[in-house]
Amino acid sequence: MEIGMRDIVFLCVALLTTIPCLIVVFSRNVLYSAFALFFTFLGTSGLYFFLDAEFLAITQVVVYIGGVSVLLLFAILLTKNVDEIRKTNMISGPRMALAGAAALALLGSFLYALKGARWAMNGNAAYPATTIKGLGDLLLSKYLLPFEIVSILLLAVLVGSLVISRRSVQ
Amino acid sequence: MELTGITSYIIISLILFLAGLLTVVSKKSIIGIFLGIELILNSAALNFAAFSRLTARNLEGQMVSMFVIVLAAAEAAIALALLLAIYKRYRDINADNLTTLKW
Repeated sequence: MEIGMRDIVFLCVALLTTIPCLIVVFSRNVLYSAFALFFTFLGTSGLYFFLDAEFLAITQVVVYIGGVSVLLLFAILLTKNVDEIRKTNMISGPRMALAGAAALALLGSFLYALKGARWAMNGNAAYPATTIKGLGDLLLSKYLLPFEIVSILLLAVLVGSLVISRRSVQ
Repeated sequence: MELTGITSYIIISLILFLAGLLTVVSKKSIIGIFLGIELILNSAALNFAAFSRLTARNLEGQMVSMFVIVLAAAEAAIALALLLAIYKRYRDINADNLTTLKW
């Protein structure tokens, strides 16, 4: 098996995605977990580039890193006393043991199922060279109804989050 | 076996999913649980994109990943607004202590 430049970069991106996951799971400091999640999102964006999904990769950066991570950091700042942040992300021991056993069993069974798996290939259909045009076409033809429903959902979320988090009127 | 093949993507997203599962089950604070939910949604979106590119070779799977990302963002906004409301009322975000349904 020949290892090219592409494979090395892929391996680095894969490690960038998976290693911070373990920090998210095992860190006792919620701030460290949040920053580790940031790197996981970045690595996932890189994996999207490897999948020739440029638009998805950029959306990932804008929405997750620019939106969700920052929102998360603000939530941590607003709810936590930063002095005692070391003990803010406690792990429940018994539940961790139980979940660890379940996760190991799942991992084993998935890897076993993966070993002999054969995927249904879609003949020799050509993947489009630029995905953005194709995505736009699909979004305004076949997926028009989900698109509109999502826009209504986003409006509802906007209003709802304002209503929930506003100062209560005396 | 190719390194950038479908199997690698499935294994990566499996690791993401299991890490998210562990986080959701084991963390005590609501923010920790929320981090795990984000990991799980991320792994689902990655899997959809991988199958879209490498086996189906069309854009439908990417479309699903896009909807997953949008829903995750909406869920994040609502969850964090709820978190702030809970913190204002109880001064605590430990999920084990929040056992009251109605104040």
